[in-house]
Amino acid sequence: MDLREEKIGEVSVVAVAGRIDSTTAPALGEQLTLSLQAPKVRVVLDLSRLEYISSAGFRILLIAAKRADEAGSRLVLCGVVGKVRQLFDLGGFLDLFTIVGAREDGIAAAQ
Amino acid sequence: MASQPVARKPGNIVYGLDEAPPPLVIAGNAVQHVALISINFVYPLLIFRLADVPVSGVASLLAVGLLVLGAGTFLQAVKLGPVGSGFLCPATFTAAYLSPSLLAVKAGGLPLLFGMTLFAGTLEVLFSRLLNRMRPYFPTEISGLVILMIGISAGMAGLRLMFGSAAEPVTPAEWSVAGITLGSMIAFNVWGRGLVRMLCALEGLVVGYVAAGLTGLLGSGQIESVARVAWIAPPSFQYIGWSFDLALAAPFVIACLAVAMKAVGTITVCQRMVDADWVRPNMKSATRGVLADGVTTMLAGIAGAVGTNTSTPSVGLASATGVASRYVAYAIGALFIALGLMPKLATLLALMPRAVMVAALLFTICFIVINGLQIIGSRLLDARRTLVIGTAIIAGVAVEAFPTMATGAPPSLLPLIGSSFVFSTLIALALNLLFRLGVKKTATMKVERSSIEPEKIERFMEAQGALWGARRDIIDRASFNLTQSIETIVEGGEPQGALEIAASFDEFNLDLRVSYLGPPLELPEKRPTNQEIMDSEAGQRKLAGFMLRRHADRVAATHKAGRSTILFHFDH
Repeated sequence: MDLREEKIGEVSVVAVAGRIDSTTAPALGEQLTLSLQAPKVRVVLDLSRLEYISSAGFRILLIAAKRADEAGSRLVLCGVVGKVRQLFDLGGFLDLFTIVGAREDGIAAAQ
Repeated sequence: MASQPVARKPGNIVYGLDEAPPPLVIAGNAVQHVALISINFVYPLLIFRLADVPVSGVASLLAVGLLVLGAGTFLQAVKLGPVGSGFLCPATFTAAYLSPSLLAVKAGGLPLLFGMTLFAGTLEVLFSRLLNRMRPYFPTEISGLVILMIGISAGMAGLRLMFGSAAEPVTPAEWSVAGITLGSMIAFNVWGRGLVRMLCALEGLVVGYVAAGLTGLLGSGQIESVARVAWIAPPSFQYIGWSFDLALAAPFVIACLAVAMKAVGTITVCQRMVDADWVRPNMKSATRGVLADGVTTMLAGIAGAVGTNTSTPSVGLASATGVASRYVAYAIGALFIALGLMPKLATLLALMPRAVMVAALLFTICFIVINGLQIIGSRLLDARRTLVIGTAIIAGVAVEAFPTMATGAPPSLLPLIGSSFVFSTLIALALNLLFRLGVKKTATMKVERSSIEPEKIERFMEAQGALWGARRDIIDRASFNLTQSIETIVEGGEPQGALEIAASFDEFNLDLRVSYLGPPLELPEKRPTNQEIMDSEAGQRKLAGFMLRRHADRVAATHKAGRSTILFHFDH
């Protein structure tokens, strides 16, 4: 898994490439904890280059979304397409997160 | 009798299958569908023109065809005994029968055309009962190849009408009209929006007719002949007659298989369109639909028309407008029949100049060719399958490029070697049979607990899928179930020794078995709550089990003498 964070205005964009499974999920968890540390922050998780996500990855996303909610922050997911989108659907996660199309939409939705 | 559960309507569908829209919506949609389908009238026109039928006769035959399309659309929408899928899935003329029909007309005129069409319809009726059993011999990539070659052979047939050795030289006016017709169809399709885009082919036809009128390709004499015929009159059935030629059986058998496969595909799209919870094709309604399709082609043969098929663009239109009600199908059927009783319209169509007809044909064929290529690409192709498809395409193109190839062949083999569509399909079917020899249908691998590489497991499934010619989507689902189950078993910390994986495949089933020393994996039917998932890794494992169960068509977990086995079954 490859993680990259960049700041676009007030929004932190975390791009994930590769696989999120039980081996890599902790690293994503740490990154999201860091990004969502301050209250009322805006974070976009760009999953357009994600190839696979297992239950371990979904758990991390749920925890991050809950943290964001409690801190009055906003976590937006973008680029959830193809096989990865099917897995979100399979696990019943499509309606649980704020999911938009492209990264630009994510940044706009997070602001 | 228990009533059938009503499917949950997807968000984009305004009027579901059983809902009755207001009369104006029904009428408006029926007109749109008929307009969309009308482009396919070029196929019977091309065939009847080759048969040297006079314009009045072509008009009459087209009118009979319209009545058949009306009956076929009704048959598909109503559920009459075992016939009819019950969907809004209108009937249309098809390019699939174009090449065989041209061969029939050349060899024995209209009686042979109608006799062979009746034969093909009867065969499709029989084939509807054997759909599943035929699949190993007619895999998806060969269906794609057949569609591709239907497009190529139909395009060539159209071009021969203008540039063939027996064709009159193309005049500058014809070049202009063909260019204007094709150009306007492309422009409406590429830059048009909404209805303009949806009806681009029909609009292009109208532009083509106007251009033909202005350039003199449609003379005043021809326009007067339209004025002379009655507004309303039943068509004449004067051309009815049937004959049969065994030498032409192969082209019609292949076309029939192709249309049956396409009908299954179109009806599957219908199923998906009206059901938000659609997961996989329902072969029951597909079988009923293929039966209705076959009966419609039989009717065509009996009444004196050309072969028919379900209209895929129409289903696309229903999806785009959100009106999928079967009441629209009834209205389309009624409209076809009404138009079949209007000789003026049929005569106007029968007068279509070859420049307009060939341009329209080329336009529609672009979509058929690409559709074929996409279907071929939907399967994982290993070296064997690449050779099957590649060789078959080259063989088909060679027939078109070098017609003399067939010169030395015995006359009885001419319909097989002389048609690109038939020759190419036969090559593919033969090579497919040959290459099936020696392909192992079960593959195994061991995964050591200490060195789990998900990519290696995925590569294993990918390679096996390509060898078997399995569907890409099924292999993706299977890969996920393997990697997720192994991850969950290992993260649970319980297995001892290696995990054993066995994957077995036939054309209908993909079965995976994961076996290991340790307690069984929990595969709950109910999704754990978000709180459960977040609270502990046990909740996360429950989520994994729930996803694994949901992703497979069937799952089973057993535990015996300390060894657990999970079985995942995927319908193929």
